[in-house]
Amino acid sequence: MSEIVLEEVSKHYGAVRAVDGVSLRAAAGKFLVLLGPSACGKSTVLRLIAGLEEPTQGRIFIGGHDVTRLEPDKRRVSMVFQSYALFPHLSVAENIVFGLKVRRTPRPEREERLARVATLVGLTEVLARKPAQLSGGQRQRVALARAIAAENKICLMDEPLSNLDAQLRHGMRVEIRALQQRLGMTVVYVTHDQVEAMSMADRVILMRQGRIEQEGAPEELYAQPATMFAARFIGTPAMNLVALADGPRGATIRGAPETPVLAGPGAGRVLGVRPEHVALTGEPGVPGSVASAEYHGADTILEVRVGDETLFVRAPGRRELGPGARVRLGWKPEAPHLFDAGSGVRLDLNQTLPQPA
Amino acid sequence: MKHVYGWLLLTPAAILLVGFTHYPAAATLVDSFFSTGTAIRPSRFIGFGNYALLAEDPIFWKVLGNNLWFALGTIPTSIALAILMAVWVNDRLPARALVRMAYFTPTVLPMIAVANIWLFFYTPQIGLVDQFRALFGAPSHNWLGDPGTVLACLMVMVIWKEAGFFMIFYLAALQSLPPELEEAAKIEGASRWHFFRRVMFPLLMPTTLFVLVNATINSFKLVDHLFILTKGGPDNASSLLLYYIYQVAFSFFDTAYASTLTVVLLALLAGLALVQFHLVEKRVHYR
Ligand SMILES: Nc1ncnc2c1ncn2[C@@H]1O[C@H](COP(=O)(O)OP(=O)(O)OP(=O)(O)O)[C@@H](O)[C@H]1O
Ligand SMILES: [Mg+2]
Repeated sequence: MSEIVLEEVSKHYGAVRAVDGVSLRAAAGKFLVLLGPSACGKSTVLRLIAGLEEPTQGRIFIGGHDVTRLEPDKRRVSMVFQSYALFPHLSVAENIVFGLKVRRTPRPEREERLARVATLVGLTEVLARKPAQLSGGQRQRVALARAIAAENKICLMDEPLSNLDAQLRHGMRVEIRALQQRLGMTVVYVTHDQVEAMSMADRVILMRQGRIEQEGAPEELYAQPATMFAARFIGTPAMNLVALADGPRGATIRGAPETPVLAGPGAGRVLGVRPEHVALTGEPGVPGSVASAEYHGADTILEVRVGDETLFVRAPGRRELGPGARVRLGWKPEAPHLFDAGSGVRLDLNQTLPQPA
Repeated sequence: MKHVYGWLLLTPAAILLVGFTHYPAAATLVDSFFSTGTAIRPSRFIGFGNYALLAEDPIFWKVLGNNLWFALGTIPTSIALAILMAVWVNDRLPARALVRMAYFTPTVLPMIAVANIWLFFYTPQIGLVDQFRALFGAPSHNWLGDPGTVLACLMVMVIWKEAGFFMIFYLAALQSLPPELEEAAKIEGASRWHFFRRVMFPLLMPTTLFVLVNATINSFKLVDHLFILTKGGPDNASSLLLYYIYQVAFSFFDTAYASTLTVVLLALLAGLALVQFHLVEKRVHYR
């Protein structure tokens, strides 16, 4: 009953196409993440679902009903704003029950829900305080509590964790996910942080300039990026994307003609390989020289120059490799991805194998 | 050594302040306990004599009453209007800058100019008000000459002038409210009125306090229009406290009595400001 469907929805501000023909489906009880760089239209999609903006084109359905022109309060959705949007003159308790009072929920029920929600998010101690007297994490919880208290099946969240420090962010990530699963809410969650997307989502929608770039489960986006943009956006450090050139024995990395990395032609193609899939090997690996090494604790990120290109390598443990050290790189045959250099679209690896005569 | 520099820097301002503010204030207080000196009879100490006189002066009571009615009639209305206009002008409406400017214009006009404009409105027979009434066949009326209507006429004019000024403060306050608050309230199902009453108005409280204090002071301070419109008449029906002080001091040349009136006016204003701060502060939300 709490499924959200967008059909070819567009939102234009004058010449700006904030959202451009987006169709998506957020399944009931699932956690959908809208991921993308700044200004790609994530917030606008969320505001369209909430009813704070009216679409220029397209239709929006919630629970099977067309809500395209429905006022926000009739849509029965909750929203957690990036800035929390707490009422500064009201206490935490009053903030949480604001909507219940508006909707004239009887007092006993109101109190009961307040107590329950406050316990759920761990705010019982601070109910009498004003938002200004809370820490960032506590404010975030108040916003969350207000959204939950409404007992709507749908909750929209716009970068709710972006103001928190790394540690708190991790804690809240786990809490929000647990809460969503416990209450069976449909959550649409906006973020530009791919770690958040990967760790929380049932499904991820990657957006770019108002359009959907790729949609899928987190592991799909990681394992099968549909475009170079998706490949670059997901994973840290980002996937290595190196231009290929034609060589006598197969495609080679530009500027390193000795070692073929793939069968078939290379020009106009881009090879993608994730840093964590590159290993330091011996012969016959691709030769390169270390430009820098950054120790991260569990692993070391090496920046390696190969021909005209640079590859990042995530090597486990500490590697004492100074700049200029000669190394050889290798990866498993299934590790690389291949993209068309012009359109950025993913190519099937098999296409590059030599055709049987 | 540092103290010396500090004092040196403060001296010019201090001299001006003492010379033109503190000394006259103190002198006024002292003067109120003396009789007015003339060529034949020099001024002498008479204790609370002037105050006793004041208590029995029917014009003083009349003028004080006028001033209280005037304050009561102008302050709440102009504040309410200011909020209304600010909320309206803050919305996304076409030609918003133009509307804002239109509302603000009365404020930049000097009171004397405003009084002259309104004089044309209120003039019997040829004035705008009477012309308009004539359309419905109503008889002409001497608005400013009738003790029953003169004060109300002045109030309308002052509201017209002040509301735009206060609107600017409310507008500034409204624009500092994050728009997400309204959106959050909307999603929670709050109507515009509910949002105004429960969120916007409370958050505007600091502005309201500021405006309230200013409006009160203004209602006792602003008398320029009386010079143009009524000279306090007819029969002191439109005279205000400050105008009466002016008359006593510079028309009747009773400086001692004028000092006494001034002390009373200052005490009144100080008392009002204290009460306002105390009462409103309890309900004010300071971030
Ligand atoms: N009210 C508006 N008027 C004009 N343009 C707007 C408006 N709101 C958003 N835009 C434009 O629409 C585009 C998408 O904005 P949106 O807020 O959805 O981005 P976003 O993906 O949420 O970015 P961020 O991660 O920075 O929050 C941007 O180019 C933005 O400038
Ligand atoms: Mg955004």
